Amino acid sequence: MAAPALFRGFCNLQVLLSWRCGSAWTVAWRRSIQTTASCFKNRAARVRVAKGDKPVTYEQAHPPHFIAHRKGWLSQHTSNLDGEEGAADRTIEDVFIRKFIYGTFHGCLANEAVIKRRANVIVICLVLVQKLPPQKFYFLIGYTETLLSYLYKCPVKMEVQTVDKKIVYKYI
Amino acid sequence: MVTIPRGLCNVFSRLLRQHQVNRVSPLNYASNNMITACLCKRPVLTLSSGIHLGSPHYATAPLITVTDEPDALYKKISVLVKGHDKTVLDSYEYFATLAAKELNITVDKVYEPAKKIDRMTLLKSIHIFKKHRVQYEMRTHYRCIELKHLTGSTADVYLEYIQRNLPEGVAMEVTKTMLEKLPEHIKEPVWSIHSPKDEGKPD
Repeated sequence: MAAPALFRGFCNLQVLLSWRCGSAWTVAWRRSIQTTASCFKNRAARVRVAKGDKPVTYEQAHPPHFIAHRKGWLSQHTSNLDGEEGAADRTIEDVFIRKFIYGTFHGCLANEAVIKRRANVIVICLVLVQKLPPQKFYFLIGYTETLLSYLYKCPVKMEVQTVDKKIVYKYI
Repeated sequence: MVTIPRGLCNVFSRLLRQHQVNRVSPLNYASNNMITACLCKRPVLTLSSGIHLGSPHYATAPLITVTDEPDALYKKISVLVKGHDKTVLDSYEYFATLAAKELNITVDKVYEPAKKIDRMTLLKSIHIFKKHRVQYEMRTHYRCIELKHLTGSTADVYLEYIQRNLPEGVAMEVTKTMLEKLPEHIKEPVWSIHSPKDEGKPD
């Protein structure tokens, strides 16, 4: 996730870091709040180079300084604009939605989920690999929509596209 | 529901007919998913009990109510849109000016205020290395569309249409400058009313 790694102020939820890369400096199961702004930023949102056998999607291949140049935004809302509030709330909602989607559609995600907010509605756009039969996908989509609607008290819609194999941009 | 004076029924019905947007997804499991767009859908048929008639009687809810009170007049309406992506704002500006032209609204000027960059400079490493820092920035691009000489109902219709089609990640601020009738007590200068008496003159 490139764009939502920006936080205002100095309070970062370390839950995100520990899920994403359970490496040396955070224990995966501990939940804590980071109170400084500094962390390993030259390693953030970058897939490390391997021997040439690691397949990588377009999203993963580009580091975060390419956002707005070669990449788009994964999470689109207005709270990061100048003079708008509520950035932290939207970010936490997004983190939860991404984790939920990752768990519900386990192994089927071809790419990161794109979350858009239009007026009251949250639209989650997914590209899925055709791992399960379509009836199961329909059930999971309906289940996600209903559960998240009740959780966030606003309409949640999903726009899903399926692909037969994960789209590889290059091998690192 | 929109309240308009008599003369503008045809404008409103033209807008309704032209822009019938149906956003009904086939997999509609959540019951609270429907965006009830009175403006952009066909009239909603409500079921009223037809006990007396012996069969269900459908009545259309009225979308347009017509009144006789005078309409508000706006000298200038300024719509400022802000977003992170300049191309999105470009296309939205094209859409808004096209909609204004369809409704015969005079577009005064469309200009682009300077972008604002909110930058944070942080330490790159968690321990020492003070000379090596990392900068994050949030860019906000602006676009301002100024419209001249609008009536209240036209303004309501136009703004509602514009706002329903705002792209995600784009925020809007609307400033309206309204024309009002001059209040009665300041219409005439004070000295012309009180000129026969000497009380109004300062000592």
